[in-house]
Amino acid sequence: MVIGPAGSGKTTLLETVAGIIPQRAGTLRLMGRDMAGVPPERRGIGFVYQRGYLFPHLSVEENVGYGSADPAFVRELSERLSVNALLARDVRGLSGGEQQLVAIARALAARPRVLLLDEPFSALDPRRRSLVRRTVRALHEELRMTVLQVTHDFTEAGLLGDIAILLDGGRVLQSGPPEQVFRRPASPYIAEFLGAENVFAGEVRVLGEQGRPAAQQGVDSRNPESTSNVDVSTSDAGDVTSTGDASGIPGDGHDAIEFRTGPLTFYTVGDAHSGLGYAVIRAGEVLLSLEPQHSSARNNFRGTITEVATTGALAHVTVDVSGISIVAALTTRSADELSLVPGAEVWVSFKAMAVHLC
Amino acid sequence: MIAKPLSFALAVAVFVAGCDGISGRPAERIVVFNAGSLAIPVRAALDSFAAREHVTIAQENAGSLETARKLTELGHIPDVIALADYEVFPQYLMPAQVDWYLNFAHNRMVLAYTPKSRFADEITPENWWQIVQRPGVQVGRADPNLDPNGYRTLLTMQLAEKYYRAPRLYDSLLAHAPRNNVRPKEADLVGLVQAGEMDYIWSYESLASAAGLKFVQLPAAIDLSSPADSARYATAQVRVRGKTPGDSVTFRGQPIVYALSIPKKAPHPDLAERFVAYLISGEGARIMRATGLDVLDAPLVVGSNAPAAVAAAARRADGPADSVADSVADSVADSSTASDSAARADGTAP
Amino acid sequence: MTHAGTVAALPRSRSSYRVASVLAALLASLFLLFLFAPIVRLIVSGGAGGVGRLFSDSELRGALWLTALTATSATLLGVLGGTPLAYLLARRGFRGRAVVAALIDLPLLIPHPVAGIALLLVLGRESAVGSALLHAGIRVAGSPVGIVCAMLFVSAPLYVSAAREAFARVDPRYEAVGRTLGDPAWRVFRRVTLPLSLRGLIAAGVVMWARAVSEFGAIVILTYNPKVVSVLSYDRFTSFGLHEALPVAAALTILALIPLTVLRALRPESGAGATP
Repeated sequence: MVIGPAGSGKTTLLETVAGIIPQRAGTLRLMGRDMAGVPPERRGIGFVYQRGYLFPHLSVEENVGYGSADPAFVRELSERLSVNALLARDVRGLSGGEQQLVAIARALAARPRVLLLDEPFSALDPRRRSLVRRTVRALHEELRMTVLQVTHDFTEAGLLGDIAILLDGGRVLQSGPPEQVFRRPASPYIAEFLGAENVFAGEVRVLGEQGRPAAQQGVDSRNPESTSNVDVSTSDAGDVTSTGDASGIPGDGHDAIEFRTGPLTFYTVGDAHSGLGYAVIRAGEVLLSLEPQHSSARNNFRGTITEVATTGALAHVTVDVSGISIVAALTTRSADELSLVPGAEVWVSFKAMAVHLC
Repeated sequence: MIAKPLSFALAVAVFVAGCDGISGRPAERIVVFNAGSLAIPVRAALDSFAAREHVTIAQENAGSLETARKLTELGHIPDVIALADYEVFPQYLMPAQVDWYLNFAHNRMVLAYTPKSRFADEITPENWWQIVQRPGVQVGRADPNLDPNGYRTLLTMQLAEKYYRAPRLYDSLLAHAPRNNVRPKEADLVGLVQAGEMDYIWSYESLASAAGLKFVQLPAAIDLSSPADSARYATAQVRVRGKTPGDSVTFRGQPIVYALSIPKKAPHPDLAERFVAYLISGEGARIMRATGLDVLDAPLVVGSNAPAAVAAAARRADGPADSVADSVADSVADSSTASDSAARADGTAP
Repeated sequence: MTHAGTVAALPRSRSSYRVASVLAALLASLFLLFLFAPIVRLIVSGGAGGVGRLFSDSELRGALWLTALTATSATLLGVLGGTPLAYLLARRGFRGRAVVAALIDLPLLIPHPVAGIALLLVLGRESAVGSALLHAGIRVAGSPVGIVCAMLFVSAPLYVSAAREAFARVDPRYEAVGRTLGDPAWRVFRRVTLPLSLRGLIAAGVVMWARAVSEFGAIVILTYNPKVVSVLSYDRFTSFGLHEALPVAAALTILALIPLTVLRALRPESGAGATP
C-alpha cells in the first residue's frame, strides 16, 4: 500500500511499475526479474486507474474479457464481483461505481501476478467496497497475486496491506509494516499527514446484531440495561475486555465487531468479516480522564502514562494499557489541568465509531 | 491610453495617402489582355509607356482562344487585346467585340531545346526530323484546341512531309509527340524542357529566345514565317474544335502574324489609342524587338473604324510597298474563301 | 440588495444573450449562403445537361472515371503512409517534432504549379527515382501515375493533420490499459486506438479525397492527357465557353456529393469516441 497526498507521484509510481512510463533510474524487479526494457504487456501486471477507462467501443463483457482467453473464468470472476448482471450492457450507461468494478474485473481477468490499483475505491459505495476488498484479498491468496495499491486515505480504502509505503513529492518517506510506520512516523510531518498514531494488528470477530459472537447468540449474563457500573474484568487468558453493554448497536444493518489485539479487545461497528486485520484509532479521538467515565464511549481502559510530548498547544500523551501503547492527542492546557505526567494513572476511552478497521 | 486613438489616426492617414497615389491624384489604369507568347514583349513596352504616362498596368496573359473567351463569355473587356493569331479576330471577335485589327509582328515555328536534351550536339536544321524520331526522344507540343501554337505545329509537320518528300512523316512526327506530351499552352512546355522531362518542344522563335532556350531553325518553306511562301503554307490544313462541341474549324497554313485591337467597349479608349500608337512607333517597336519579337516594319490595319491615331501611325510606319503586309492581306483574303469550301481535313487535331 | 434590483439585472443579460445569438445566426447564414450559392447556381445552370451528358459524352465519362480512380488511389496511398506518421506525431514527443509537423504543412503553402514543377524535379525522367521508374516501364509525367503523385502531394498534408487530431483525441490511458492487459503496442492500436479514432480518420480521408479531386494546377504540369475532370472543365471552358464547361462542372459536383454524403453519414452527431 502506497500512501501519499495528492500530487505526491502515486500514479506516476504505479505507471512506472507497470512500464507505461519508462523508468529513468534505479532498478525495478518484479518476481525477481529485472524489468528494464520489458514492455508492459509482458510484465504480468494488472492496472486499474482511478477512473475506469473502460473501452467505450466494447460491451462490458468484451471489456472484462479483453485480456483473457478463458470465457468461463471471465464469467466466474464477474459473478464474484457481482458484475455479471452488467455484462451485456453498454459501457456508457454504467455509473461510476459500476465502471470501477468492471475495470477491476477486467484487470483481474487477465490473471496478473501483480495488481496495481490507483485509488480504486474512491468511487465505490461501502457495500461494493468491501465486496471488492474481499475478492481482491481472496485472489491475492488464491493466485498468490501481489497487490500494490495507492491511496491518499487508507482508512477509506479499508484494506491495509502487508507493507505500507509513504510517498510524498515522488520520494519514499518511510516504509515497513503498517503498525511500525504509523506508530513511529519518521517525522512530525508524516505523523500529521497520517493522522493515525494508533494502529493495531489483530483479529476481527463479527458479533452479529445481538452483540454476541455469531456462534454464541443467546448467552448473556450481564444486564443489558446496566451502564452505570464499569468494571474491568480479567479473563483467564489475560484478555482485558471493556465492560458495559456488549449488546449490538441496533438498527442500521452494520455489525457489531470485536477486535482483539494482544490483551485488548476493542468494540467497533463496521462491515467486516472475521479474520485478521488492522484497527486504526486517531489520537484526536482518544479521551483521557482521571476517573472512569460514564459516557457513550464503548471502549474504556485503564493505563499508565509513559510519555507526554508537547508541540505548542498540542500534546500527545502515550498511555500504556496492558503492554499496548495508545496515543491520545489533546490540548496542552487540558494536559496541564489534568496534571498528565508520565507515571500517572488515567482512563483511556474512545467510541466504537472511532475504531476504523482496515 | 493615448496610443489607441493616435495609432488609429495614423492608420487612417496612411490609408488616405496611399489611396491618392504619389502624384496626389488617382492614377489611370490600362488593361491589356495578350497571348502568352506576347507576354514579355508587351510587358516591356507597357512598362516604358506606363512610366511616361504615369499610369498603372493590368496585364493578363493567356492562350489566344482563352483570351478571346474572356471577352465573348465572361464580359471582361480590356483596353487592348493582342493575340498570336490574327485569324481569331475575324473568327471569334468580329463584329461583336471589335471592328478592326492591326497586324503588327510575326514569328516562326522552331524546335526549342537545352544542352541537356538528347542529341543536342547533333541536331541541325537539316536532320531535325530524323533526330526527333529516334527512340527515347521526348517531344512536346501545345494543345491544338487551345493554343494556335498547337495547330501550327501540326501544319508544320504536314509541310515537312511534303518538303522532305518523306511519306508518312506527319504520322511519325505526331506519334513521337504523343498525347501525353501535350500541354495546354506552349508556355507550359518551357518548364518541362528546362526540367529535362522533354528533349524538344515545338515553339515560337520569340518564345524560345525569350526563355533562353536553344532552338533549331527550320526551313522557311515549312516554318510559317515567310509571307513569300504563303501559297505553299496554304496547302496544309488542320481541323480543330470549333465554338461548340461537334463544330470544327479548319485552319490553313498561314504565316504567323500577331494582331491587336481596341475593343469597342474598352474602358479607357483614349489611353488605349495612345498605347497602340506607341507600340507601333519606333520606340515601342524597338523595345519589343529587343525582347525577341519580330515586329513588322509595316503594320497593317484590317477592318473599319480604326481610331485615327492608330491608322495614322500605321501609315507613317508604312514605307514603300511592303511585301510582308501585302502578302499577309492576300493570304487573309485567300483563307476566308478557302474555308468556305468543304474542308479537306488533311489533319484533324488529335 | 433589493429584490427589484436583482430582477432589473436579469433582462439586460438575457437580451444581450439574445442579441449575440441572433448575430451569430446571421453571420452563419451569410457564410453558408456564400458557400452554397455558387454551387447551387452551378448545378441549376448545368445540372440537367450535365447529368444527361454522362450518357452521351464519353470523354466526360472517361474523365470522371479517371478522376475517381486517381483520387481514390492517392487517398489510399496517403492513408497508408500518413497514418503511422500521424500516430507518431500524436503520441511521441520526439525531438524535432514541431519541425516535422511544419514540414508536413509545406505542400499546402506552395502554389500548385510550383508543386507540379517540384514533383517533376524529383520524379521526372532525369531524376534518380524517375529514371529508375522509367526502366521499370513507368513514366510519371504524362500518365495517371503523375496525376496520383500530384494529388497525393497536395492533399496528404490535410490527411496527416486531421488524422493526428483524431489520434490525439483518444486518451493515451486507454492504450496504457490495453498494454497492461497483455497486448503489445500494435495490437492495442488495432483493438483500441483504431476503433476509437476511426470516425476521425474517415473524415480525414474524405477531406483528402475531396482535395485530390479538385486539384488542377499541379496535375496539369505533370499530366495533361489523359484528362481528369478538373482539366477537362478547363479545357471545355477555353475551347467552347461557359455553357459547355458548366455541365462538366455540374456533373462532377453532383457525382461527388454521393461519396461525400455517404462518408459524412458514417459519423455520429456527438463527438466520436466519447469517453465514459
